[in-house]
Amino acid sequence: MAIAKLNHLTYWYPGGATAALRDVCLEIQDGLTVVAGPSGGGKSTLLRVFNGLVPHFHGGRIAGSASVTGLNVIATPTRSMARRVGFVFQDPELQTVYNVVDREVAFGLENTAVPRREIAGRVEEALHAAGIADLAGRTVRTLSGGERQRVALASSLAMRPGLVVLDEPTSQLDPDGARMVLAAATNLVDEGRSVIISEHRLDDLLRQAAGLVLVDRGNVTTADPRAWRPPAQSLRPPRVTAAGGEAWALENVSAGFAGRLVLDGVDLAGRSGEVVVLSGPNGGGKTTLLRLIAGSLAPIGGNVWRRPGRIAYLPQNPTVLLHRPTLRSEVSFTLERSGEVGRPERILEELGLLAVADQYPRDLSSGERQRAALAAVLPGSPACVLLDEPTRGIDSSARGALVALVGRLRDRGASVVLATHDDDLRNALADRVITVSNRKVTEMNLAVRT
Amino acid sequence: MNARAVAAWSACCLFIVLSTTNPVYKVIVLAAALSALAAGAGLRRMRGLLVAVFLIAAFATLLNFVSAHLGATVLFALPDQIPALGGPYTLEALVFGASGGITIAAAILAAAPFSLQLGSHEVMDALPAPLSRTGVAIASSLNLVPAIATSFVEVTEAQRLRGWRPRGPRSWMEVVVPVVLTSVEGSIQLAESMEARGFGSGARTTIESQALGRADWFLVAASGLALAGFAIAHAAGWAADWLPYPTLTLPTINAWPIAACLLLFAPVLVWRSRS
Repeated sequence: MAIAKLNHLTYWYPGGATAALRDVCLEIQDGLTVVAGPSGGGKSTLLRVFNGLVPHFHGGRIAGSASVTGLNVIATPTRSMARRVGFVFQDPELQTVYNVVDREVAFGLENTAVPRREIAGRVEEALHAAGIADLAGRTVRTLSGGERQRVALASSLAMRPGLVVLDEPTSQLDPDGARMVLAAATNLVDEGRSVIISEHRLDDLLRQAAGLVLVDRGNVTTADPRAWRPPAQSLRPPRVTAAGGEAWALENVSAGFAGRLVLDGVDLAGRSGEVVVLSGPNGGGKTTLLRLIAGSLAPIGGNVWRRPGRIAYLPQNPTVLLHRPTLRSEVSFTLERSGEVGRPERILEELGLLAVADQYPRDLSSGERQRAALAAVLPGSPACVLLDEPTRGIDSSARGALVALVGRLRDRGASVVLATHDDDLRNALADRVITVSNRKVTEMNLAVRT
Repeated sequence: MNARAVAAWSACCLFIVLSTTNPVYKVIVLAAALSALAAGAGLRRMRGLLVAVFLIAAFATLLNFVSAHLGATVLFALPDQIPALGGPYTLEALVFGASGGITIAAAILAAAPFSLQLGSHEVMDALPAPLSRTGVAIASSLNLVPAIATSFVEVTEAQRLRGWRPRGPRSWMEVVVPVVLTSVEGSIQLAESMEARGFGSGARTTIESQALGRADWFLVAASGLALAGFAIAHAAGWAADWLPYPTLTLPTINAWPIAACLLLFAPVLVWRSRS
């Protein structure tokens, strides 16, 4: 049975000259449907049609028709659609209203005036369905990213929706957190709900999916999830030059913040022309290690040494960097400030962003923004490249471009340190892999890595 | 602990401390507020607040001592030629300043349970039904505050590494603009998430019971009695006001207003620390 039906649907964002969705004719059946496609292609926009955020929250113009769980989306406001369609967003931190798990899960029920005597039972039921019954009563800020995202899932399930839509729910999570969320999402299908999910980690999902929707440049097509293969993994770029001398070193370094010791007695060094990959769970200390190397965080004990030269640093939330009127001026800003001569177009082309060079960076999709932030920090010839989760939310072709770019910087003698959960990126670039966990660092033997 | 009962107690403390100039009654209210907070929040959580309150009260005392050159008991004098600071420094001005400092300290501590002992959602739940949606909006925006603080640190670090240096107020625009933009975008995403969960559908219900428990009723009754008792005592002239000028005198005290003020210690009997 069709849970959603879109008929010649075209949508323009406010002020948008080109359509974000073009003449979409689509029928989605019960069960699990996966939405895939390149970043900036329109996946998030399509998903927002299913609960009416497009067009009711975002405005703009819409043509054609859309019906979801029997409701006319264009005539039904999102707050009414909420009773039938649950929605989980990318960032777990930006969808939390209350600071206590039970209250957060009850939020939708309170909004729709469910009687108080029913709410507690519905909250308990939703926590069970999301696999987090043990989190009842916990403070939200004490939860991991994976737990928070499952609280968001429970919050939408409390409304007992027939359809649950998830927009890249694991893009900010470590592998364990991602596994937890995806398992909870696929369990919903076994319980008789329909699920539409947009994801970049497709392998497991495609095996269970009843349908596959591909979105690229606003065009929407369908494919057989068992026959379709995602784009190939990034190739390891050939090394042109050998690694050079020591570029940075940490000697018996201890570091932390807010009274919490994150790293204790760490000895580690990196060379120019070398790529060091930091892995480990969320909160393990990877970002702290990058900030120490960058000189942004002073150690509590021990010494940090770094060869002089420009540092290119991509923070974990890269969009905080973006503040110039165009992407081109964002890249020029870095080149000017670093005193380097170069054309901003070069790096924009390398990262596939030349077509949006004159757009306002914050108007781009989340995957494009990630690439925009990379373009903003990586132009010219930095001596030290420090990237915190550089592939968050980007597709495989953008990952391939990043691999080539980092390979080029490495061959020019840059010392590169990447903090990442992305196995593909690690396999393509790592000369050494360091696991950061429980305040310590451990070097992985690459000969036995999986 | 019901936020409405807490509000009744806080309002009563504020009424007494602001309606009299008699420092004895103010000191009793200050002691009641301190004891209540120690019982409800614990001394460890109060430490930062106590330091801030002490500094504010000390500043208020000093300000009056330096600016009010009134009173008969001159401690020392500075030449009149010194602008603003010149003139006699009196014991009366010092004591009256201290009385003002006690007023401010008592008022802050009386309102402190809202931040130290209650969650933002508990405070917002106490709002009347017509304001409940506004309350949710405020509660959710309070949740964004830590994210804004984090993004300020992130932006400053990232811009420094791109070559930015703080050179005058205009240079800070390169930090402030991204922080503001990130905060606005965070608010929009939160609003989107709230809309997707039916926010704005109409009348709301709440999972939390709004009914007052026995301890809450006890607190409301004690606060009501304290307020009524002090107001009657004040009207009857038993709770006499006090002015140290022109010559310092001891404040007059009476058993009835003291008894009314002592009722404000009621939270000590019913509040227990959640930490």
